[in-house]
Parts: sequence; structure tokens; C-alpha cells
Amino acid sequence: MEALILELKKEIIEVLNLEELTPEDINEDAPLFVEGLGLDSIDALELIVLMEKNYGIKLNNAAEGRDIFKSVRIMAEYIAKNRTK
Amino acid sequence: MNINIASYCRLTNHKLEVNDIDIQIQKTEASSLNDIYRHLNLSYPKFFKMDNLSKAGFLASELLLKNIIIDKETPKKDMAIVLMNRSASLDNDRTYQTTIQYENNFFPSPSVFVYTLSNIVNGEIAIRNKIMGESSFYISENFSPEKIYSAVMNTFSDPNINQVICGWVDYEFNECDVLLLLIRKENQEKIPFNVNNIYHLYT
Repeated sequence: MEALILELKKEIIEVLNLEELTPEDINEDAPLFVEGLGLDSIDALELIVLMEKNYGIKLNNAAEGRDIFKSVRIMAEYIAKNRTK
Repeated sequence: MNINIASYCRLTNHKLEVNDIDIQIQKTEASSLNDIYRHLNLSYPKFFKMDNLSKAGFLASELLLKNIIIDKETPKKDMAIVLMNRSASLDNDRTYQTTIQYENNFFPSPSVFVYTLSNIVNGEIAIRNKIMGESSFYISENFSPEKIYSAVMNTFSDPNINQVICGWVDYEFNECDVLLLLIRKENQEKIPFNVNNIYHLYT
């Protein structure tokens, strides 16, 4: 799980252009939205694309993201259970 | 009342000039726009999410307003933005196209898509400085001081507008070509806003 969390942090930094952050700067248990990384609605859409492109997970309902994107750890746990690639 | 050029910024791949002062920036990254951002010690993480056109316009506006007494936090209903370029948002449109080019690798990027309009750069500058006046973006085949002058004077026909950020903001094929001017209605006579002076500052 820790390897997946690190991989995910790197991918999030890349796809969301968080150029001034390193994986160490991201607390895997901190909220991704509003607090924590302070991501916005476009970032949420980009994370949905990331899930499908890198892990083959298609979220049919954007509202599902609300629970899945609570933190990097929760995201990683969801990916570990549902990934198809 | 005089209409003056209160400040200007010229930004290209090879030149960065603000009010007659050349600024030298050491190039450390592939994108010199990121170098300028770091040189300015800005703390605005959204910068890195912008497309190149918005980055270029945003940085030029930061430099343009750097020495002007302007409170970024106060809403400015008397300030407008009038920009123009040749290539619209084609630079970013091409990047977006790469995300939808192939059926077996079809992942349209939302964060790239939101910049597939040239006037988004107006919005970035307006958000940063709380500019609430009219905002317009024009496409012109070539740099045209006459068109810029005409569009700005038309904007000043609204009596509520006292200052305009205007100019040419173009970015395509890694070529940055920006001239931003801050035009103000002022009592004193300074550098007059006219076609010749726009042309002079561009060349």
C-alpha cells in the first residue's frame, strides 16, 4: 500500500501541475479538497481521468469521487480494490 | 484629462523589459516563463496550472503592476482589460488535441480544456487583481497598434473606466510575444497613449 501511495502522490503532482510540491509534502491522510492540497472542481475531474487512464477504473458518477478523493490513502485503497490495470 | 501610458512590459523569448529597464533572468528550465515566475518570488500556485498564453499574460501583468500603487485585494470597477493576439489559444488547443487524438488513448484533459479559449488570460489577470471592469479579447492577423488604440479608446467611452490593461499577448510554437500597457486617465501629461507610442514600445 505504501508503494501505491507514493506512486499516486507522484501522479497527482504531475497531472495537477503541483510543481512546487514533492511527494513528501503531501500528507496521505489529509483532505485533498478545500483544506490540505486545496484542490478545486477541475482537479477533481482530472483525478477521475487519472483513475481511468492509469488504473482502468471508470467512475460513472462524479459524486462517487467525493468519497474516493477524501485523501490519498483512501484513493489508494479504492484503487487497490478496483484496479483493472 | 490626459490618457497616459502609466507602465509597460515587453516580454518575448529574448527580452524582458519593464518601463525602460531590462531584466535579466537566468534560464534554468525548459520554460523560461517558469523561470520568470520564480525570479519574481511569486506565491501563486495556480500559475503552474495555466497554459502558456495565460502564463505569459499573467507574468507580464505582474511586472506591469509591480511598481504601481495598486491594492490587489480591492475590487476595481474602474479598470478594464483589452487584449489582442494572432494565434488565439491554438498553442493550448494543440495540447488538448493530443489528449483526444487516438481512440485507444482517448482521455480528454479537463484542466487543459479549460484553457482552450484565448480570453481566459483576461480572467487570470482579472482574478489576480480583482479587476471588475469590461474585459475583451480580439484576434488580429498581425500586431496592430491602431486596433489596440481603437479598442482601448472605445473602452474609455464608458465614463466609469479610468484605467485599462491592454496590449498584445501571443504564444505559439514556444514563441512568446507580449506587450502589456497600463493606460490611465490622469491630470498630468506623461507618455501619451497613441498609436506611435504603442508601436515604439513593441519594436
